[in-house]
Amino acid sequence: MIAARAIGDALRAALDEDNRVILLGEDLVDPYGGAFKVTRGLSTDFPGRVRSTPISEGTIAGLSAGLALSGYRPIAEIMFGDFLTLCFDQIVNHIAKYEAMYNGKVTCPVIIRTPSGGGRGYGPTHSQSLEKHFLGVPHLRVVAGSLVHDPGSVLCALLAQDSPALIIEHKLLYPLHLMLPASGRIGDDIAAEHVSPDGLPTVSIRPVPREDCSFTVLAYGYQAELARRVLSRLAVEEEIFGELVVPSQISPLDWEPIHDSVSVTRRLLVIEEGAEGFTWGSEVAAHISSHFFGELRCPVAAAASDPTVIPSSKALEAEMLMTSERVEQAIRKVAT
Amino acid sequence: MKPVLVPTTDVNSDTGLLLTWHVGDRSQVEAGQIIAEIETSKAIFDVPAPETGFLLHAAREGAEVRLSDPVARLFADADALEAYTEQEQRLRAEAAESGPRATEPARRRAEELGVDLASVGGESLITVGMVEAAAAVATTATIELPDPLSGVTGLPRIALIGAGLGATQVIEILQAAESGTAVAIADDDASRWAAGVMGVPVVGGFERLVTLFGKDAFDAAIIAIGTSVSARARLREALAVNGIPLANAIDPTARVAADVRFGTGNIVCAFCHFGVGTVVGDNNFLSAYNSYDHHNRLGSNIATGPACTTSGVVELGDRVRLGTGIHIEPHVELGDDVQVASGSVIVASVPAGHTVKRRAVTTVVVPQR
Repeated sequence: MIAARAIGDALRAALDEDNRVILLGEDLVDPYGGAFKVTRGLSTDFPGRVRSTPISEGTIAGLSAGLALSGYRPIAEIMFGDFLTLCFDQIVNHIAKYEAMYNGKVTCPVIIRTPSGGGRGYGPTHSQSLEKHFLGVPHLRVVAGSLVHDPGSVLCALLAQDSPALIIEHKLLYPLHLMLPASGRIGDDIAAEHVSPDGLPTVSIRPVPREDCSFTVLAYGYQAELARRVLSRLAVEEEIFGELVVPSQISPLDWEPIHDSVSVTRRLLVIEEGAEGFTWGSEVAAHISSHFFGELRCPVAAAASDPTVIPSSKALEAEMLMTSERVEQAIRKVAT
Repeated sequence: MKPVLVPTTDVNSDTGLLLTWHVGDRSQVEAGQIIAEIETSKAIFDVPAPETGFLLHAAREGAEVRLSDPVARLFADADALEAYTEQEQRLRAEAAESGPRATEPARRRAEELGVDLASVGGESLITVGMVEAAAAVATTATIELPDPLSGVTGLPRIALIGAGLGATQVIEILQAAESGTAVAIADDDASRWAAGVMGVPVVGGFERLVTLFGKDAFDAAIIAIGTSVSARARLREALAVNGIPLANAIDPTARVAADVRFGTGNIVCAFCHFGVGTVVGDNNFLSAYNSYDHHNRLGSNIATGPACTTSGVVELGDRVRLGTGIHIEPHVELGDDVQVASGSVIVASVPAGHTVKRRAVTTVVVPQR
């Protein structure tokens, strides 16, 4: 099943199981069904509980905060992740703070989903991966959709918590088929799933047993899919064996499955699509270098997109964003 | 063959819905004739035939199609269309029976060694290592392995592990020192089996050695590998598990002072010096002209190159690897697994697991004028 459909089904199940769940965002309602068609059919089947809003992301976030404080479980869609900047105040100063600020007397379990990332030729303000600005915000979970995680169980795990969450969904993943681990495999690869105490999965994928892998790649979202394809090809064509670790929650991180892999391979590459500098990768590098100081065979490597404006031309975009070619370059560098 | 693409500039849609085919599968079309309708999130598009020819549908009515993929293919004549469909069917059938999954280097190696990949099989991806292991097993089945020598009365019978150049050194030391007789050599590289080193037969791999020890064919073993400390450590453990004791091979030209203690399994080459009060662990390979001055402590599974000299009260941890021509100052401690590049002068202690590199090791080769 393609990711867009699976996310839609996850939202449908949430609406079905819990009357407190409300979906809101721009153009969600049928027949349009959302810019990426994730919510197609839901407004018809759950009238009144799937609402299109005016074009004001600040309002969507503020309204969600109010609903959550009043006992609802709002799931908001921000049509493009670029406009998360308009929600930043509501998320950082209000949604993430309420529970701690009022000493646990209230909770504000807002879930915000947003399509993000480039590769579609959408230009400077509809292509960015801005999630790094939300990493490390106290009491906020940042989750990234990937093909190897079931959106249903991730959403279930988030709805079981009282803490707010931001879900990043790379737009290029929507039309791709999910590849969930089954009987210890994903396709031809060996796959293992580690579930955090909060119920959020991290999936590890390797072409050969971990002991035969000479490096670990940590990535999420669409970059994880690019890395999976490159690693799979390098394994078959050149016997370059690396393990890919894909967390569903990217902040705070569940370090256990990452430590498990790096303690064996002792080399790590972190890949993300956001602009390089002060990134997810730098935080991971700092943590891993400190934890494994003296055991690593080379410094932790991090790959990210060029720190500049994303052009509208697909050709120019491919020169500055993390593409398959750049993922392969980064992998070859850490593998040797 | 010409692919038929949906003429759209809609960057919002990756896929569209194939609403209608106006022309049947495998029928003839004219250039510009409308052949299908596709609906994206923005509009319904007519799809014209790019040229005249025979049309092969690539999707059914009602199917969601990727706009980057052709919805149909056009052929100059009906024969070309038939040939294309037959080839597609053949490729699909071949893909379905492509056999076990192996890396490309493994496929090439299997062909070189004449190994059938199906016999390597199993669930996992087949690698070069697995192919070579399978080839080795196949070879061993056909080789008749020699028996060990009977030895010399009164001297311990020694089995060596490793049939490389290290073995020649150990055999020579045992002969010169008259402290034992090499009666057999074991090596896991099957290409060395049944041959001999200086008249000592290579009797097989490690497994054969264990069998022979059970039959009382030798008294103790020496690991004759000087290049890998990890191999020394691994083999020593394997010997211990099987209850096989180690023996020392110490060259008669070595100068061993008073109050020096040796463990077992050590190889000491010519002209080495051990100062008073020095303690040597087990299973070390110490090359010629090594000098360990007084009150040194050496761990186990160490390997050194020639001409390494230490001052007093130096400590070497387990699995330390020294290159050639290294000098170590007094009271220096090298932790476990430390590796030191040739020509280094060590003036301070090095923590476990670290490597000492030299900034400039220069050999300038000047061509003849």
